[in-house]
Parts: sequence; C-alpha cells; structure tokens
Amino acid sequence: MWADTLLIVFISVCTALLGEGLTWLMVYRTEKYQKLKSEVERQSKRLEKMKEAHGESSLDKQQKKKMDREEERLKQNNRDLSLVKMKSMFAIGFAFTALLSMFNNIFDGRVVARLPFLPISWIQGLSHRNLPGDDYYDCSFIFLYILCTMSIRQNTQKILGFAPSRTATKQSGIFGTNPQPYK
Amino acid sequence: MATKTKTTEKHGANGAHKGPALESAWIRAFKSESEWPDKDEFLDVVYWARQLLGIAIGVLWGLVPLKGFVALVLFALVNAGILYVYCTSFQKVDEEEYGGAWELTKEGFMTSFAGFLVTWIIIYTGLHSDTRLGL
Repeated sequence: MWADTLLIVFISVCTALLGEGLTWLMVYRTEKYQKLKSEVERQSKRLEKMKEAHGESSLDKQQKKKMDREEERLKQNNRDLSLVKMKSMFAIGFAFTALLSMFNNIFDGRVVARLPFLPISWIQGLSHRNLPGDDYYDCSFIFLYILCTMSIRQNTQKILGFAPSRTATKQSGIFGTNPQPYK
Repeated sequence: MATKTKTTEKHGANGAHKGPALESAWIRAFKSESEWPDKDEFLDVVYWARQLLGIAIGVLWGLVPLKGFVALVLFALVNAGILYVYCTSFQKVDEEEYGGAWELTKEGFMTSFAGFLVTWIIIYTGLHSDTRLGL
C-alpha cells in the first residue's frame, strides 16, 4: 500500500511539472502573454500607489475620474490575459481529464492509503470513491491525488515564478470581492 | 524562491530603498527584527515558512501518531500560532501594514494544510496502518 501512496505522490509531481511545462509552452513564453502580464503588474502597482497616496474620501473629482479610468483599463487587460490563458487551459484540461480517468482505472477499487482521521460525510464520497466495504478510514486514489495536487501544483508555480503576483491578485479581486491594498 | 529573487531584483532596480544594501532575504528571515521594505518579500518568507512547517508537523503527527479531529485542530493552532509569534514577536512587523493579522495568517495556509495532510497520511500509512491492507 505504501508503494501506491508514494507512486501517487510521484504521479502528482510529474503531472504538475507536465502541466506547467505545457502551459509555459503554450502561454507563458508567448510575447502577448508576457506583455499583458507586465502591463497588469505595472497598472496594479500604480493603482495601489494611487490608492495609498490618497484616501478614498480626500479624492477630488478629477483624481477619482483618473482612478476609475485606470481601474477600467486594468480590468480590460485582466480580461485579455484570461482570454490568452483560456484556450490552452482548455486543451490542457482535456488532456489531464483523460490522464486522470486512466489513473482512476488503474487504481480502481484499490486502497492506496490509510487515513489517520475520519473524513466528514461530504468528503467521504471522495475519499472512499470506488472502494469496497465501508471502512471510511480507507483512502481512494482520487482523494490523495487531489491533496497532492493542491500542495504540489501551487508550490511548483511559485518556485518557477508562474504564480500571479499578490498585487495583481488583490487589485483584480480574483479571490476577494473587495480588494484591499496594503495600508 | 523565484518570486523572492524577482522582487529583490525589482526592488534593487527601482532603487526604492536608500541606505546600506540589505542582506539576502534568507539571512533576514532568521534574524530578529529585520527590515522588510518590500512587503511581498516578507509575505514570501511567511509563505515558505508555512509550507515547511506544514510538512514538519505532518511528519511529527505521523510518527507519534496523532489521529482524528484533534490532530487537525492542533495543526491549525500550531501552524497559525508559530507564524503569528514569528511575525509579531520575532520580526516585530506591524501587522496592520499587511492588512491585519488575518492576512498574515491565511498567507499560504491552504497549501500548507494540503502539504500537511499528504505527509501525515504518507507517514501514518507507512508506519501504523494495518498490514492486512497491504495484501
């Protein structure tokens, strides 16, 4: 069983590297992406500085207009950036779904690890997927694979420098409805 | 650590910080009350420290072995606690500058949690799981 566990970690590392490699080949190295990315970074920084310099309340009409215009331009660039990414992401997504279903077949019905905790009921469907019996401490391939991917993929992106910068994320409000820059 | 290098380079190119050149982020991370003119750099340190801590706790919990919901809660407390103490007592940064303690606490937390689960499950499976399952 331990060999399976380690094999899944290895598979996850390989797929993360393959995914990043393919994305680099199709997106990151293209001139259009690099141009848009640096533009978004620059604008995010500028917008953050502007917001830092004047509090929202002390803005006069002209400054507010300028800020709105900057924000609109940033949004447009962000949209373009996601569009550039989208096509290849779809292609990679399809390839990986096929790969995942292949691994799913290989590990079908196999207990790949023993969980040291009892997963909550709505996770049990994932952690006990396609496994015989009802010992919910048994772990299926898909659960371990998702966990590995969550940790390995993001760290790989960060090590390789492909993760989006914090300023851009904050300004574009991808993860928050109300982006708040550093004070 | 590519992001770290990038931010340092950018910082150097902008010349935003005047005065004596700063030591590398590695050295400053282990030095008490270091100067962090680039906030991203410090957040990177917090991020990577959290990842390493997640893996270390995973190994430890697996070796003991700690089990169940208590172990998960304990991980969250130890992880958040150690990093909080590191930021406020060791580095003495003003948490408000980073958007409050919550922003510092959640920096890289989910990734660290996933890393912790993976190492905990691996070690636990290898050392303590029932051998009949290995058949």
